[in-house]
Formats: sequence, C-alpha cells, structure tokens
Amino acid sequence: MASRSAAVGDLRDAFADALVELGHERQDVIVLDADLNTSSKTVKFMEAFPDRFIQVGIAEQNLFGIGAGLAMEGYVPFPSTFAVFAARRALDQIAISIAYPGLDVKIAGSYAGLPTSRAGASHNSVEDIAIFRSLPNMRVADAGDGAELRSVIRVAVQTAGPVYFRVARLEVPDLVAHELPFEWGRGHVLLDGSDVTLFGTGIMSGLCLRAAEILRRDGIHPRVVHLASIKPIDEELVRSSALQTGCAVTAENASVVGGFGAAVLEAMGVNAVPVERIGVRDRWVDSGPTESLFAEHGMRSSDIAAAARRVMDARDGRALGTGSSARRSVALTGGEQPSATDFDDPGGRPV
Amino acid sequence: MVSLTDVDRDHLREVAYEIRRLTVEMVTWGQWGHLGGSFSMAEILAVLYFQAMRVDPERPGWDGRDRLILSKAHASPGLYAAMAVRGYFPIDAIYSYTALGGMLEGHTDMTRTPGLEASGGPLGMGLSVAVGRALGLRYRGDPRARVYCILGDGECNEGNVWEAAMAASHYHLDNLIAIVDYNKVMAKGPVWRLMSIEPFEDKWRAFGWDVIEADGHDLDELVGAFHRARWVLPRGKPIVVIAHTVKGRGVEMAEFNPAWHTHAPDPATADMMLRELARSAGRDEVGYSRLHMAVSEESFYGGE
Repeated sequence: MASRSAAVGDLRDAFADALVELGHERQDVIVLDADLNTSSKTVKFMEAFPDRFIQVGIAEQNLFGIGAGLAMEGYVPFPSTFAVFAARRALDQIAISIAYPGLDVKIAGSYAGLPTSRAGASHNSVEDIAIFRSLPNMRVADAGDGAELRSVIRVAVQTAGPVYFRVARLEVPDLVAHELPFEWGRGHVLLDGSDVTLFGTGIMSGLCLRAAEILRRDGIHPRVVHLASIKPIDEELVRSSALQTGCAVTAENASVVGGFGAAVLEAMGVNAVPVERIGVRDRWVDSGPTESLFAEHGMRSSDIAAAARRVMDARDGRALGTGSSARRSVALTGGEQPSATDFDDPGGRPV
Repeated sequence: MVSLTDVDRDHLREVAYEIRRLTVEMVTWGQWGHLGGSFSMAEILAVLYFQAMRVDPERPGWDGRDRLILSKAHASPGLYAAMAVRGYFPIDAIYSYTALGGMLEGHTDMTRTPGLEASGGPLGMGLSVAVGRALGLRYRGDPRARVYCILGDGECNEGNVWEAAMAASHYHLDNLIAIVDYNKVMAKGPVWRLMSIEPFEDKWRAFGWDVIEADGHDLDELVGAFHRARWVLPRGKPIVVIAHTVKGRGVEMAEFNPAWHTHAPDPATADMMLRELARSAGRDEVGYSRLHMAVSEESFYGGE
C-alpha cells in the first residue's frame, strides 16, 4: 500500500503551482508577499496574475493586516512569508485581526522547520505549529508531499475561516503512489502494522515510512499514520492506533514543545501509551547543512526507528524497567545523540 | 467649502452630547472602560456617522457603504454610543457592554456587533486593516466608498502604523481617510513626555499623505475637513485628518487627565459627570439613566 513512486518535487513549487492553478479558477484569490517571492516561489503567481499580487515590502505586520482587510471585502488572501515571521513577528496581527474574527485568510508559512539552507535559529521555524494551533478558529496543516500540499491549498480555499499551512524548503518524494486527498481532521494509514504506531506530519511522514522499512528488516511491523491535519487532528485514528499497537512515536519538523506530538498526546488523553516525540527538543537550531541538522536533532529515520524500539520496550516492561508504570510514562527525549556523520537521507533533498 | 446650518450644528452637538452621556452610562454600568479617549472623539464620531459617512444602519452590510475602523479600539464605548444613536442597535444594548455573552465587547469584536467593521484591541493594527479594505474596494471597482480609520496619537508610537502609512501612499490609496484623535495624552501620561510623535504633520507628509489639521471639537471645522478630504483635495494620495482634541473633553476632572484613560466612575462620580455634561449642553435633566438600578454600591468599585 505504501509503495512510493519516484516522483520528487520541491514543496515550494507545489505551493506556487497550486496558487497559480487557483488563480486561474478563482478571481477572488489574492497573494501577498513581503519581499520573499523568489524564495517562497510566489513569484510564479506574481508573473501569472500581477494585478492580484500585492507586494507589501519588508513589513510582516502590515502583510497580515492587509490580508485581514481584503478578507473583509470578500477576497481570499494568501499572505505568504517565512513561517518564523508569521509566527513571531506578526502573531498579534494574525491573532486579533484575523483569527479572532475568523476571517478567510490562508496563511502560508514557508521555510518551515529545519530545511532553511543555512540560515540558523532566526529563520528555523520550530514553534509555529504550537503557536498557531493554540489560536481559536485557526486550522493548521503540514502536508507530506507536493500532491497533498496542493490538496491542502484547495481545501483551505473552500474552508471558511483562517488556515495556517506549512511549506518546507525541501524536495520530497511522493509519500504514496496515489494522491492523498486532504481533509480536515482526517489522517491516513500509510502502512498497516500492529507493533508500534509511527505518527508523522509534514515531511516527517516520509521519514516514518523509511523508519518502518528499517524496523521491518528486524521483523517489527509498525503502523505509519500520516496526519497532515494537525488541527483539527484525527482523534479517532490517533486513539485507535495507539490502543491497537500499545506504543507510539510522533515525528514533526518542529519543536516537540506544544507541537504535533503534543497534539497527538492530547488526543490520546487518558489512554496515553508510551510515546516518544521526535522533533527539535527545546533548543535553538544552529546553522548547518540540512542533513546535519536532522542528525543533530535526532530526527532521521534511524532515530525514529530507534525511538520505536524504545517505546516497544517500555510497553513490554523492558529497558525502562518497571512494567506498568513505564507503560504510562511519556518520554520527551530521544536517547543518544546521533552523529552528523551517519546521516541517512531524510527522505528529501535540501534545495 | 460647506457650512453647517444652525439646525445641523445643533443636531451634531446633540449627538456628541449623547455619545458622551452614553459613554458614562456604559463605562459605569460595565465597571470597565476608556472614558477619556471616548470623550475626545465624540465630535469626530458625530460628524462621521451623521454627516460625512455614507452608511445605512438598516443595511449594515451594504456593499457601497463607507467603512469605519476604530484602530484605537479601547475607545469602544464612544463608538458603540455613536452607533446606537445612529440606529445600528437599540440604545438599551449599551448596557450589555462588557457583559459576558453581550453584544458589545470591551474591545471591538466585529462578529458580535452589527455595523462594526473590524475587531481590535492591540494598538497599531487598524490602519493595516484599513489599507487592506481600501485595496479590496479598489479590486471591487468601487470608486465611491471610503475607508475611514480612527487612530490614537499615542498609538502612533507603534511601528505597524507606519508600515501601513507607507503602503497606503505606495498604493495611492485615495479612498482611505485616516483620522488621528490627537488628544495629547496616552495611558500613563502626556504623549510628549512618554514618546513624542512631533513633528507629527511632517511625518505624515513625509510618508506621502495629504494632511488636514482641524480642531477636533469644532463641528464646523470637522465638517469642512471631511468635506475637503473627500471632495476637494486632488486624488492620488491617502489623507489624514489630524484632529486636535482634549482627552476627557466634556468633564473637567477628566480633561487631559491620564487617570481617566481607563477608569470606571463610581455612581456618585458618574452622576456628577452626567450633570456636568447636561449643564454644558444646556439641559435641566441628565436624561434616561440606568445607573440608579445598579445592584449595589459594591459592584461599582474596581474596574482598572
């Protein structure tokens, strides 16, 4: 079921192409940019629809305020900037001018997570999932591949109210051979198995599939669940998978504090099983090649596989040692730090 | 130049009086709110809602209406009072100000209040939203409707204001009219002392705006200013009306007094204020008031 095709694409192109496609279909779609259009690739929309492309200069607070005003006049604006600037610089504007009145603004957070070339902490958006999922009215999505991102954008336009979606600066292979239809609050089982659940979102679901390959070589059969819709999250699928496999790993291209893994744990609620969260562990991100960053932060497929073995041990009363109490424990960190030299392809190529 | 007839002037004066009177009712009843910044814009609101703006309270969502965004959204009591008097909702609705589940939030919530054009609270944001609306009206091909945006003077300390000001002139938004309620006092003291904004007119001009200065309590001047802004000045630029006002104008103890930026009067003080307002308006009675119906004196304390 989870055989992946060879197609590889830069998520930014998928994003920009989907915008252009929408632009042809709908006259009410307007794209706004704050001097990043060749980085985010919204330049494609600018070239196709110069009249419906608004350049605001380097002024992110204004970017989102203007977006709010356009939505009030009946348009569907896509203000686009780096995820960090949306989440950090313009949070108040997004919260009060957009999310509070529930306006139809679709926010594209580009350069999400670790792959930002070598920009360093100021540009690595690791807190955006936690921030935006905490805003009432706001929906949050992180697509796993280009086709799904396109689907996210199409659904976002049809959804009333504000949406935040992430766009990673990364070439990723298709998650599955067929297109994943995006739906709010609905996850997909990419690979079925009964030993452990690997919950992934965004580009990390591809790594979960690779981790599953590693585990299967040892006779372990993980279930891989992809949750592009982080808010609302597929609570039913989270609960049933967690209960059926008895342990789980979550993987996100973001901080584990308050992010996707936290959302999965919230969904499990009182039925929480042993869980390890893969993601940035409450640290600032250094400059460095993307491959090295994934290694440094323990976010490679091998790290996910290792975490899977640990949560299975915890479930079975091994390693963590104390049976039933370990069963309820929720570990935050991912064990030994991997070395940057044993990086295995994170499933995508930094561009 | 337009000139007001005596009848029109009397009417606007009456409206401004009602705005202040209802503000006292609201802030006292709700035991929370911003009286000084509501009083300072009473004449501005009276002229906008009853003279300058094309609006229809029967059809608050009418496409062709002028839009008013209150960027200094803490002065919501003044705005709610003006809207109630204009007929957007019954006067009695003011007593739901800040009540749980009521239609008049402490800071503006456009989803609750009919005719309210934006939500706000944090300062510095409204002009960006106004720029977005002005661009939206241009996309819609509406050459008539105007977007008005009321800013505070202290609010102009916020960088976001100037991002929006830059964009408005860059995009030649001549359908946008900003009004600064230049009441000289911010929450904790005089603007000149906390963070000066002068030379203020120069700043707006440098950002590419046409500037009109007016006495913000002089009805004739305000009517003239808004007329010039809409009909006389050449097109191609956004326009700002810098309205020189007095914070707390109308009640002596509140004038230029930061203590009345956020403060709810107790019933005795409220009564004093209402009497002073009535006296200045040449009235014998304070008008309909519910303040005597308050449950207990106790409920009137607090309210910072």
